[in-house]
Amino acid sequence: MSLTLAAIDSIKPLAAIGAGLVTIGAGMGIGRLAASALEGIARQPEASGKIQTAMLIAAALIEGVALFCAVICIMSF
Amino acid sequence: MASGSENGEINMMEQVQSWIFSHVLDNHDYVALGPLKVLVLDGKGKFPFSLHLFALIIGVLFLFYLFLVRYNRDTSKAPTGITNFLESIVLFVRNDICIEYIGEADGRRLAPWFLTFFFTIITLNLMGLIPGFTTVTGNLMFTAALGVVVFFFMTVYVVWRNGPMGWFSAFVPHGVPKIILLLVTPLEILGVAIKSLVLALRLFANLLAGHLVLFNMIGLMVVFGVAAAPAIFLALFVFFLEILVSCLQAYIFTMLAALFVAQVLHPEH
Repeated sequence: MSLTLAAIDSIKPLAAIGAGLVTIGAGMGIGRLAASALEGIARQPEASGKIQTAMLIAAALIEGVALFCAVICIMSF
Repeated sequence: MASGSENGEINMMEQVQSWIFSHVLDNHDYVALGPLKVLVLDGKGKFPFSLHLFALIIGVLFLFYLFLVRYNRDTSKAPTGITNFLESIVLFVRNDICIEYIGEADGRRLAPWFLTFFFTIITLNLMGLIPGFTTVTGNLMFTAALGVVVFFFMTVYVVWRNGPMGWFSAFVPHGVPKIILLLVTPLEILGVAIKSLVLALRLFANLLAGHLVLFNMIGLMVVFGVAAAPAIFLALFVFFLEILVSCLQAYIFTMLAALFVAQVLHPEH
């Protein structure tokens, strides 16, 4: 199929679907992280400061990976 | 009638999208910068004094004012006011990021660099949340420049301090058979470039995406009028999330830069 402008325009909904898939991955990853962090705080309330710091750092890293692909979806929209 | 209102909405949506992208990306034809066109140095049609450059200059001047004019370096008395506030952040970055990852001597030596990065990134991030300003760190070229500085420190600085063989020995892990070393060492050396690039990309993607979501929420209210009134609360929530993400991404960038430099400067054996 020749890459006419109309053909490229018709791929735009796929970029939106891709962005949704990326959000599934990010949500699952950060959800598991939050579950482990909450369980750790419940077991040892005195370590909650360290657990919170580690949780925030890991959440930012996971979200970074998800946003790499979100930017690709924005660029191809 | 239905197609008429749909046409009007689609037209409005395109206008909103073009407004959003002209405010988030680097804009060379920004209307308010019209009087500055006399500063054009090259004779071509493009106006090189762009929106992000303007915001960057304002942010840097604000940082200079904050640290050179208002910061009180008198160490004989206890710090008060804004010196107290800034010094608590300075000590946090120096102790919990530089010295913890790189060690005492090298940590103190490299602390000015990390402090510059941290305060630059957090100031530019938070400036983007002020209505009318733009986020300079949402520009891939700016964060790539920050990544290039990290790359410089991971290669040239380490070679200068440890020598070329010292730099190379950071990529050769101990206790692995020789045949795996042939595979792992090139990957580790490639990892230096990849880590710097990924640092830049993470900061850029986080800030760009956050601002696009915020602007699109407000754009919903512009396009659909009163029917999108609950979008106000969603936009407010995203705004507060953006404040958290700005501070967190500055900390993450500085911490990962310190971690990567420490891995190459002091390889653990």
